[in-house]
Amino acid sequence: MERDIIRKSKVWSPEKIEEIQEKSDLGRYRIRGQATKRADLPSFDDLVFTPAGLSRVPLEGYRERCDTEVIIGEGKVKRPLVLDTPIMVAGMSFGAINAHAKEALGIAATRTGISTCTGDGGMHPVEREASEKLVYQLLPSRYGLNPYDLQKADAIEIVVSQGAKPGTGGTLLGQKVSEEVAHMRDLPPGVDQRSPCRHPDWMGPDDLGVKMEQIREATNYEVPVMIKIGAGRVYDDTKLAAKVGADAIVIDGMEGGTAASPEIQLDHTGIPTVAAVVEAAEALHEIGLKKEIKLIIGGGISNGADAAKAIALGADVVYIGSAMLIALNCNKSLYLEDYKALGTEPAACHHCHTGKCPVGIATQDTDLMARLDPFEAADRVENYINSITMEMQIFARSCGKSKVNALDPTDLRSLTLTSSLITGVPIVGMGHHKPHYADYESSSVEQNVLSQLLV
Amino acid sequence: MESIKEKVIIDCETTSLKQINQKIRDAVKDKVPEVIIENPWASHNLGVGITESIHIIYKGDVGYYALSLCDKVTAKVEGNAGWAIGENLMDGEIIVEGNTASACGASLRGGTIAVKGSSGARAGIGMKGGELIIGGNAGYMTGFMMQKGRMIICGNTGKALGDSMYNGTIYVGGEIEELGNGTEIVDLPPAEYNMIKDRVETYGITAPPSFKKVVCNGRLHNFNKKEFGIWKEIL
Repeated sequence: MERDIIRKSKVWSPEKIEEIQEKSDLGRYRIRGQATKRADLPSFDDLVFTPAGLSRVPLEGYRERCDTEVIIGEGKVKRPLVLDTPIMVAGMSFGAINAHAKEALGIAATRTGISTCTGDGGMHPVEREASEKLVYQLLPSRYGLNPYDLQKADAIEIVVSQGAKPGTGGTLLGQKVSEEVAHMRDLPPGVDQRSPCRHPDWMGPDDLGVKMEQIREATNYEVPVMIKIGAGRVYDDTKLAAKVGADAIVIDGMEGGTAASPEIQLDHTGIPTVAAVVEAAEALHEIGLKKEIKLIIGGGISNGADAAKAIALGADVVYIGSAMLIALNCNKSLYLEDYKALGTEPAACHHCHTGKCPVGIATQDTDLMARLDPFEAADRVENYINSITMEMQIFARSCGKSKVNALDPTDLRSLTLTSSLITGVPIVGMGHHKPHYADYESSSVEQNVLSQLLV
Repeated sequence: MESIKEKVIIDCETTSLKQINQKIRDAVKDKVPEVIIENPWASHNLGVGITESIHIIYKGDVGYYALSLCDKVTAKVEGNAGWAIGENLMDGEIIVEGNTASACGASLRGGTIAVKGSSGARAGIGMKGGELIIGGNAGYMTGFMMQKGRMIICGNTGKALGDSMYNGTIYVGGEIEELGNGTEIVDLPPAEYNMIKDRVETYGITAPPSFKKVVCNGRLHNFNKKEFGIWKEIL
């Protein structure tokens, strides 16, 4: 007789069982916040920098000047967007997060010389007041859009899609559609808002070209116009966005965040950020516009290493959203009972969609909001932005670069074959020695295989 | 440009788009009450982002996005209009003598757009207020995701009328090929018919003898109701 063994199936894992049983109760797909939880995606961690040695001289790691400034729309619009460091706060709507969070992000961005972004839901006056440089999103929903706010913006971002859920529109569940949110979006309070995914007034790239002209006319060619696309058919989409005359193209990788999205889509749609940046940069290089059009990459960027590697692969700027919220206090070990009540715990919370954010960020509940002091929170975000800037500078200096944006793919090596294939960056240990292998040709089957892989 | 006290005349044949819109803005600044756009030849983006009172007359067809992102403007198009005329209009009045292409009055927020002819697909898509009057027929997905406001269509409509609308009212004088998800036809009180008739006749359009009143039935407002049958219709 077989022994009694409790052995969990790898095929029918506890997570899969829980998912099936929850859906059998809900009668619809699961919706949640945060981002994909997949652990098997290629990432920037699969790359390392190759610091200077004898062949190249490093800069003094802690002291020597290393520029970080990036300008979007330079020479093309009357008021280009000047970023003191190649970081932008990604679009997160008033609705998804509250006015305290918006204010904190705005204060921190202003202090560090970077921009914030309205997200879907209109321009909140608190956010405009707090943010010296504010990007105004123009989305399919057109929530809160009006010509006055358009003219108050420091850049316009036409959103085609979002990395977390490319091909679908936004979702904001009723518990977060407060009176104020409903008013700003012209919706009935408490409704489960599902935004459209297609713009109401253009369909394809040719129409978008005319739309682009409309926005430029409406803003009197004052500020840059950017196009944001969730990473899917990145190579072609980037070329089309360039064709219609964007000053900057934002590519949002599949690790990008959301306040509410069908979970199945988070995990099974889109292109990982590290792959997306390579495709987008390649597309711009090919059409000879890499210098003219700024490439902004977002999706799971968490530290200076991610940011510097994205820049080395061709990005000019990184978009950071989720990590900014984490700096605000998202998933922090506070108010443990409230995490428990949501069925979760700090570092595992993805309950933005419920409107019951324990730390008072992704909620419109005034009691919970009170837990987020905008000024204290701004200090934390400011520190975080500064730390990423310093981390990027460390890599640039160690690679002998006096500008963060001078990092390039030759400063990198891949740790895995997959990463090497995706990025075109040679795998570690083999970058410049390929001809040397010729001496050993046919000496062993193993090396023949290796040579083929390197072709 | 010939400038006199009462009006400014702009000839599109000899003026670039940038100059046209700048001249309209200058006319607004100089408090000129009327601008006449001659030879528009269906050019795009004529009269965009104007946010002060002025009356604009287009002596012919206009292309995409005419009078979009505007406020307080009144205008007449003596011809047809391309995509998204009056998109995101905040307040004012636009009269189109001919037909319009797709997305007429997309995201309309206030004021009135009156089209004497017919309109293409997605008329009044995402409307957030205001009034859209169409003397003839309206195409596929008219009133899709409408949020607020009033739409009056004197002729027939295509499929998916008012699909996923959150709020607002659509009045249809002719046949509805297919109602969109989450909508229903409700009774139209006589007083409301008279009001609609008045509005239509204000623009010289003959009102049909009756209207169907289409509204949101609210059944798609929230995800968490276990109405499998309803959701299966749209998901």
